[in-house]
Amino acid sequence: MAIEKITDTRQMLHWPGHMETDYIYTLGIACEKFFIEIKENGRILGAKCKHCNYVFVPPKLYCEKCFAKLAEWVDLGIQGVVHTFTVAHIDINGTELKDPEIYALIKFNGAEGGLVHKLGEVRPSQVRIGMKVEAVFKPQPNRKGNINDIKYFKPRE
Amino acid sequence: MREVAIVGVGCTGFKSVTPEISYKEMMFEAATRAYQDAGNINPRKDIDAFISVAEDYWEGFSIFDEFVPDQLGAVLRHLFTVSGDSIIGLATAYMLIKTGYFNTVALESHGKPSDILTLHDIVSFAMDPILNRPLGGHPFYVAGMEMNRFLCTTGNTRDQCAMIVAKNKGNALSNAFAAYGANVDVEDVLNSDMQFYPLKKIEISKPADGGIVIILASDKVATKLNENPVWIKGVGWASETPSLETRCWSKAIYARLAAEMAYKKAGIMTPSVEVDFAEVDDLFSYKELQHMEALKLCRSGEAGKLTEEGITQLDGYLPINPSGGMLGMGWPLEAAGLQRLQEVVLQLRGQAGNRQLSDVEIGVAQSWRGIPTATGAVAVLSNYKG
Ligand SMILES: [Zn+2]
Repeated sequence: MAIEKITDTRQMLHWPGHMETDYIYTLGIACEKFFIEIKENGRILGAKCKHCNYVFVPPKLYCEKCFAKLAEWVDLGIQGVVHTFTVAHIDINGTELKDPEIYALIKFNGAEGGLVHKLGEVRPSQVRIGMKVEAVFKPQPNRKGNINDIKYFKPRE
Repeated sequence: MREVAIVGVGCTGFKSVTPEISYKEMMFEAATRAYQDAGNINPRKDIDAFISVAEDYWEGFSIFDEFVPDQLGAVLRHLFTVSGDSIIGLATAYMLIKTGYFNTVALESHGKPSDILTLHDIVSFAMDPILNRPLGGHPFYVAGMEMNRFLCTTGNTRDQCAMIVAKNKGNALSNAFAAYGANVDVEDVLNSDMQFYPLKKIEISKPADGGIVIILASDKVATKLNENPVWIKGVGWASETPSLETRCWSKAIYARLAAEMAYKKAGIMTPSVEVDFAEVDDLFSYKELQHMEALKLCRSGEAGKLTEEGITQLDGYLPINPSGGMLGMGWPLEAAGLQRLQEVVLQLRGQAGNRQLSDVEIGVAQSWRGIPTATGAVAVLSNYKG
């Protein structure tokens, strides 16, 4: 019995549909501050809930635990730890990647959340949960105030 | 207190492609079978309210709700659409009857992923536009990350995940509704292409087309419509944070909370003893283990061992996914939950054919909304009104 079956019905009589959906998403108060700090100073900020003693990265304007409004900012530096990771071998169309991509959740000392990003300057087989990494930023003039201002995280020392 | 039962199920079966019918004809077929199963009722007068579970992006329509009534017999009647998994639709139908306003509700869900040319782009579009989407990539990298953390934290193993694939695809061979039944062993799984380390290609459920309609009724009319109603003892649902950055990466908290809500309503104190079998979300192999633990069917870190010992097989004392799960039946998008629920109903009625379990009284169906969500729902069913 075949495990793989045909899933493309484009050979049948059909009418093609296409949805054009373009949006812009404004960042909001907390994320705007977060990304301006990355862009201008290469610093990663968290927002602290003083009731829960919980630091959110990326920052939010509100605490998702107690619903308090957050106003205290904490500089978390640029070093973190790989909480989990994967190595992607295909792209979104299912095409095999010549260079597999490493995605990871990086957590920062003193914060509960973290950032999902790629790892670089490391071979997939060398990555471990718990590995210490640090952010590699694009040169300041090239930063635009978005998550890709961080090129990737690389192993520390 | 008013009780609620399932008195009819209708299903088209699941296939990798369905070029021969439109989504409307698919829904019509499932509905026709369900109305027949519920004592050959006429939806134009015997159904009080209708619920469809659907998402616009999966359907390829804006305001898909408006395209629903005619194929269900619901034109000029009382209908709304629930966006969410179809067990969340079941919870809605259950509550409609509990209010006392309605005695009979028809619940529909379907998936026709073979119509979607850019399925993973839609999944990707569900991710945070500021923090996650700009990184690009195939959105199932989230599953690889979760599997890695889950295995590392709980001690369940890579090979035990492979055993899930072998078990579920094997179970599906006895299920005429299933699209992807096959004889595979652990070695076949481990030889499959690595896609999102440690997740292999064959460990990812493949899309499948198909529709399911379920008829619910109050105890006032249930036994008139079906001699063997299956009673809904409890339903629950919950969401963890949507943020990938702050959620728990090792446990399915959403499923734990949904299960606690459903068990409380059903009066189940010790699920591992009281639940006879379960149908759980297995969109990815490791999810079956993670969901078993979330549903308190075993302790944390124990699900893999139970799988390895054969306890979750059809002849084990805690069968999991006797239908073949989604690894065996296929992933029908929002209909995933009703696909789980249908098997629980068939098993409790004694109508599951070659894969019929013996002496089952309480079954659990659980769903998850998939990547990148942290939302799930649970239903507890019994063939005893109790
Ligand atoms: Zn707080």
